This record gives sequence, structure tokens and C-alpha cells, in this order.
Amino acid sequence: MKITRRVVFAGSTALVAAGLGNGEAMAQSRAETLRQVTGNTINTLDLTMPGSTRESFGLSMHIYDRLVAFGRKPVPGGHVFDQANIRGELAESYTISPDGLRFTFKLRRDAKWHDGSPVTAADVKWSLDRHVTANSLAKAQLQIGSLVSPEQFKVIDPMTIEVSIEKPDRLSLMDLCVPYAIMINSTLAKKHATPEDPWAQVWMRENTAGGGAYTIETFKPGEQVVLRRNDAWKCGVDGKLPFFRRIICQTVPEAATRANLIERGDADLSIDLSASDIPGLQQRGRVKVFSVPITNGFTHVAFNSRMAPYDNPKVRKALAAAMPYEDMFQASIFGRGARLFGGTWTDAPPTPAFPQPMPHKTDLALAKTLLAEAGFPNGFKTTFSFSAGLAATNEPLAALLKESFAKVGVEVEIQKMPDAQFNTLQAEKRLPMFVDGATAWLPEPDYFLRLYFTRDQRWNFSNFNNAELNALTEAAQFEQDKAKYDAACTRMIAILGEQVPEVLLWQPNHEAVMAPTISGYTYWYYRQIDFRDLVRG
Amino acid sequence: MVLLRGIGKRVGLRLLAALPALFGVVVLTFLLMRVLPGDPAVFFASGPNAGQEEIEMIRRELGLDQPIPVQLLRYLGDVGHGNLGRSLTTGQPVLADLRNRLPASLELTFTALLLALSFAIPLGILAALAQNSPLDHGVRLLCTLGVCVPTFVSGLLLIYAFYFLLGWAPDPTGRIDIFASQPPTVTGFLLVDSLIAGDLEAFGAAAGQLVLPACTMALFVLAPLARMTRASMLAVLSSDFIRTGEALGLSRKRVVLIYALRNALLPVITIMGIVFSTMLGANVLVEKVFSWPGVASYALDALLASDYAPVQGFVLLMALIFVAVNLTVDVLYGLADPRVSIG
Repeated sequence: MKITRRVVFAGSTALVAAGLGNGEAMAQSRAETLRQVTGNTINTLDLTMPGSTRESFGLSMHIYDRLVAFGRKPVPGGHVFDQANIRGELAESYTISPDGLRFTFKLRRDAKWHDGSPVTAADVKWSLDRHVTANSLAKAQLQIGSLVSPEQFKVIDPMTIEVSIEKPDRLSLMDLCVPYAIMINSTLAKKHATPEDPWAQVWMRENTAGGGAYTIETFKPGEQVVLRRNDAWKCGVDGKLPFFRRIICQTVPEAATRANLIERGDADLSIDLSASDIPGLQQRGRVKVFSVPITNGFTHVAFNSRMAPYDNPKVRKALAAAMPYEDMFQASIFGRGARLFGGTWTDAPPTPAFPQPMPHKTDLALAKTLLAEAGFPNGFKTTFSFSAGLAATNEPLAALLKESFAKVGVEVEIQKMPDAQFNTLQAEKRLPMFVDGATAWLPEPDYFLRLYFTRDQRWNFSNFNNAELNALTEAAQFEQDKAKYDAACTRMIAILGEQVPEVLLWQPNHEAVMAPTISGYTYWYYRQIDFRDLVRG
Repeated sequence: MVLLRGIGKRVGLRLLAALPALFGVVVLTFLLMRVLPGDPAVFFASGPNAGQEEIEMIRRELGLDQPIPVQLLRYLGDVGHGNLGRSLTTGQPVLADLRNRLPASLELTFTALLLALSFAIPLGILAALAQNSPLDHGVRLLCTLGVCVPTFVSGLLLIYAFYFLLGWAPDPTGRIDIFASQPPTVTGFLLVDSLIAGDLEAFGAAAGQLVLPACTMALFVLAPLARMTRASMLAVLSSDFIRTGEALGLSRKRVVLIYALRNALLPVITIMGIVFSTMLGANVLVEKVFSWPGVASYALDALLASDYAPVQGFVLLMALIFVAVNLTVDVLYGLADPRVSIG
């Protein structure tokens, strides 16, 4: 037997246990504690504040409940979210009126806030009013689902609330499931409201007023956040409590250290290991790896479609044919993901799903012909940018792209920029060509395309403006007829295939590496862990 | 008494002279951060539907919508009132963050410096006494190795060997075992706090976490300290008063440790001050590798995110520490060589 620190520790614990008889309780408390390690930071307790990090979204899922929640469906090795299957969370049940204009939510009779006071429809009304009134991230999000004014939220009786909309909207109900749509203990929050801050936004940054499955035990941003289970929580699936009593979310900046911790069994779960470490971890077999392509996102190369020469669709198509797709896929993410290139369709995609493989493949001869047709028989000079934070995956990709583009005469200068600088230039639409990722919370094709390919706004990476696509996405949101909706989505995707404002590359895997005893992991669209799903043993 | 008065006068003068320098540092960092091409508002407005509106909201909140001279005046006013602004990265006031994190950095740096000195000075003396012997070459090799291997490499290697393979070291994540209870905060130095609380278990846990990062840092600064000791000893050992001492029949030990070493220490103290200040700011890699919640890694994260307030606060803090360290070095000079403080 090898004598390690662990054995010595276990031995001494056993000795203490024999003496005191509480060893079993200690071991049990470790078994019921989950230790997550991450490279990132939770920077606020109120995720609706501008500037909140993605980790803050994850935290809020545990501290706060929403009226309704997405379901999940099993896939090999775990689960993924299912937006087609919406269950009541703080609401016990909900009904939709036949005309699709009114949603009625019945609240759970036994639901309590963390301070023990009962949840009422007035709290829900106050929370929803806050989301559509106060200057916060929730406002823009709820707008997407046609929720814009406090008049739309009506208290029917202390346990019932009605939400009404002007015309049937496919996204309204889904929009009430997203992280921002938190339900707040209004009595508590109002105590800390001031005339300048009627929605208690300052207080809620540092304090919580929720009723979710966990409460905060320790909050040290940049170091660790410890959560404790709320044993009075009733809003789980079938009213079940989460397995873990205590959750430690620890910030460990070095990815290699995170990998070591999990492999040694000292930490239980991480979702942000470096892609190059994961094949080795999997091979040595001491950990469990759950990999699933991020179904609601994609990695892409964007062309600024209002900047020469990329204002010419032929140039964009030519470069789409000059990319060494498969090599990039292997070098950048070790083939760990789903390909979005090499689609076999030409005029219209086989399904209305998005993202799906687009009809682009490496064809240098075609690229040369197209460039000549576009008036660049000898190519041109351009730049290709990426953010330093994503250098590990984007550096090899950029090198391969540069090499391949040189073969058709396009000379690329690679620009690796600090993240803040990259984001600024990108938002100001000053980059001619760059690689980045994109995800959508509500992965409906029309929403996806409206978000990333229409209007003058930040996420329209390619600065794309196509009248037909604009009209189609505007109409589709309110389309109730499934066949018509599908036809519209199919046409939208076909437009992307013809116009190539962005070249879709792939959906990288979401990789959750965990101790072999952990099960129940679910991939959520906001790319954070839902600890309520997890079980040990 | 004369000695003390001399020291007091020097301290007062030095502090006064430092004020313009500190003011310059504050203004310069402020302007430098504004010249950087990143916009913190855009970086942090990264929600799934963050539009121009959200970017403007953050800009207003940070006061970035004002002209730069107005921003500078406001900032100087705030600093004058002891308010260093709020960090976007952690969401906390910068002053509170620095107050929480500075003890972590200081504890690590002090430990590493002590460790380095306790090896470097004896090694330097031995090398000087046995000049050009195999021992001298051995010390030279060790120093060269220490300074050649970047800290993140030696840090990761130490973790791999002592934590991952052998399992002797505790997991390299922060200042105390995550499952151990932390002693109540008095000074912020865990070693001191745990002793105050009489909690030996916590002391052991904190000391255990310190070993690997402190060794990593000590290895890196061994070279300047040991080499300086050696060079300075060599110079002193060949001087007249040593020969006189030996001629008078004083013991070798007395000559080397009392007469030679004390005279050789001046340049070592100088280099020690520089090494300490550099370590505090430059140990960012060690802090990152060992998840050490110190000020340097805090500033680096903020810099990458173009988060102005923490970077400015950090630079100001470093400037203050440099002033303090230089003062201490001056005082130590006075003690090591009484001639310095007279006049």
C-alpha cells in the first residue's frame, strides 16, 4: 500500500472517529458536499445588473426560482435542456388561453422565501414589474418575448397571476424561464429600496431576496462562493430536494491545476478545463467526461459585410471555399464538437433547424474562380483577428486559415488582441474578418437569426442587412402555423447559405469533467452547472 | 539618541519627497488606462442581448461618458477621500478587495524572502570563502537554474511532483485547505491569525499551503541574493581591516561572521529591498498557478478586462509599498553602517 497524504489523513480521521464517533458524519458531509473548480468569477448577486458575469447567471439559478423552467431530456452520459417541455417551478401549474394571449400561473401553496414568509402573487407581480421597468438586463430580455409593461401582469387572487400579451408570441413563455426572470421576495427587497433606487438594485448586488434551492453561506468574489441547501424548497421536479447539502464553487485560475484536482479526486466537477487536457484525462480513465456539442451555439468566421471587399458576396463565398475546414476542426478543438460545414444541400436546407451544417467545403479552384469573378484575380490583403482569451483554440485555426488563403492569393495578417480591445473593435464594427463564438438562450431558429444577422446591434457580427431576412425574422416570431414557420426558417437558412455573412465552423463541445461517482449532469443553454440536477453515487 | 533622531529626520524628509511622486503615479496610471484601446463597458456588457443601451448604461455608471479631465478630477477627489472606485471584475469596492488580498501577497512574499535569505546568505558566504572550488560552482549552477526556470514552470513542476504524483503537498488552491475552518481575521495574515486564535490545526493547514508557492518564489530570487552576498563578501574579505583582524589572531569565525559579514551586508540590503518590491508585483504567475488570492493576480485580471479602477488602485498601492520599502532599507542602512545616518 502506498502511503500518501490522503491515506495518512484518512487514517487519522478514522482514529479520531473511533475516539469521537463523529467520523461517519464527517465522511457523510464530504459526500454531500460538491466542490466545483472554475477559472472564472461571480461578480454580483443580482445577475440583472449590467456587467454581471456568466457565472453570476449560474449562481442565480440556485438562489432564485422562476415561474417556469425548461425541462431536460436524456442524451448518452447525461442530459440536455429541452425548451419544448416547460414545467412550473414557482408556479404549480400554468394554462395558456386558446387564443395564446393569456398565461395564467397558479403558485405553489407551500412555497416560502428564504426568510420563511410565504410566496404570493403580489411578490411575482412586483418582480415582473421590476424586470420590465428598472434599468437592467432583464428589461431587454423580456422585451424579446413581448413583455414590456407592468399592465401586462395582473394579480387574480393571492395565489394566481395572469400575464397577457398583445399578439401571440412564440417566445413569451420561454422568456419567463431564462436566468434573468428571477422571482424576488418583494417585502424584503422593498425594505431596502430608496427613492433613487425604487427597485433595491444596489442592495441586491450584495444581498439576496430569493426562495431558491440554495442560500449563500460565503461570498468571496474571485476566491470562493459556498452554497447551503434550502431544506424548505418545494419547487423541484416532483418537489424533490437536491442531493448536495453544500456546494463549494472555488476559483482556481490555472486550468492544469483544475485538471489535477479533479483527477486526484480532491475536486468533483469542472466545466472549463482546457480542450487539450481532456483527451488525456479521458484516456487515463480516473474521471468521467460528459461531452455534448453546445446545441444552442456556434463558432464562426464573420466578414464585415459593409466593408470592402467583404461587401461583395462573391468574395465571402470565395473565402468560404478557401477554408481548410477539417484541418481547422482537428487543430483547433481536436475534433471535439459537431461540424457545421460540409452540408450537402444547395438551394434549401433539409430541415428548418439552426444551426445545421452549411453547404461549404474546401475547394480552392472554386475560390479562385469566384475571386476572379469578383475582380480580385490576384487576391488582396486583409486582417484576421481573434481575442487573446481564446488563443488556445483560435491560434492554430488562424495559422491554418492564413496558409490556405495564401494559396488563392489572399494575404492575411493575423491580429491577436486583448479581450477588451477585441470586443470594443468588434462592437464598433471595425474588424474586417474575425473568429468568435455565439450562443442564444432561446435556441429557436428565428430568434437565433434575428439576434445574429439583423439590425444595427452588437451581436450582428457581420453587420448584415438583408431585407428579406429582416422581414422573415420579424414575422416568424408571431407565426402560429407550424408549417409556415418552418418554411420561413428554411428560407432564412437558405439566405445565409447564399450570402455567407459568416462562415459557420462548428459547435464546440461543452465538456463537464467530474468525479466518476457524480451523475445527473445536464447541459444548460446558459452554459453553467445546475447543481440541483447532480447526485453522488 | 543621535542615531534615532537622524533616522527620524530622514523618514520625515523621505515621506514628504514621496508625495509628488505618488501624485505623478496616480495621474500617469489614470491616463495610461484611458489610452489602452479596450472599453470596459463593452467588455462587461456581454449579456446575451447586451445592446448599445447596456453599454451606455455601464459607461454612465462608471462616469466614462464624461470628458477625460473631468474624470481625472473626480478620480483624484475620490482618491483623496480614500475611495478607489469599484471593480467590475469582482463587483466589490477596490479598497476592500485590496485590503483582503494584500495580506495574502505579503504573507507569501515575506515567507519566500525569508526562505530565500536563509539559503542565499550562507550559500553566498560559503561560495566566497571557497572561491572557484566545486562548492562555488555548485552554488553558481543552482542560482543559474533558479533564475532561468520561469516561476510558472517551476511552480507547475513542483505541483506535479509533490501534489499530483507524491501526494505530499496539500492541493494547491489558495491559502488554506478548503475544508478547514479559517481562523477569525485579525491581521489578515493566516499564520498570525491562527496563532492568535490558538488554532494549531489552522496554522498547520495555512503553513502547508505556503510551502510550495514560497519555494517557487524563493528559488527565483535566490540568484540575485546569493550572488550579491558572494561578490560583496569577496570585496570585503580582501580589504585591509580583515587582514589586520587575522593578523591580530582573531578567530576565523569572528572575522568572517562579525567583521566581514556586517560590512558586506549593505549591498545585500539594497538588493533585498528591490527583490522584495519586485516579488510583490511580479509574483502574479505564482499567484495564478497556486490560486493564491493576492493583489498581483487581481490586477492582472482587471488589466485584461480593461477594468480601470482596480489597476489604478493596484499601481497606487505598489507605489506606496515601494516608498515604504525604500524607507525601511534606508533605516536598515543606518543600523548596518552608522556612518550613513550621520550628516
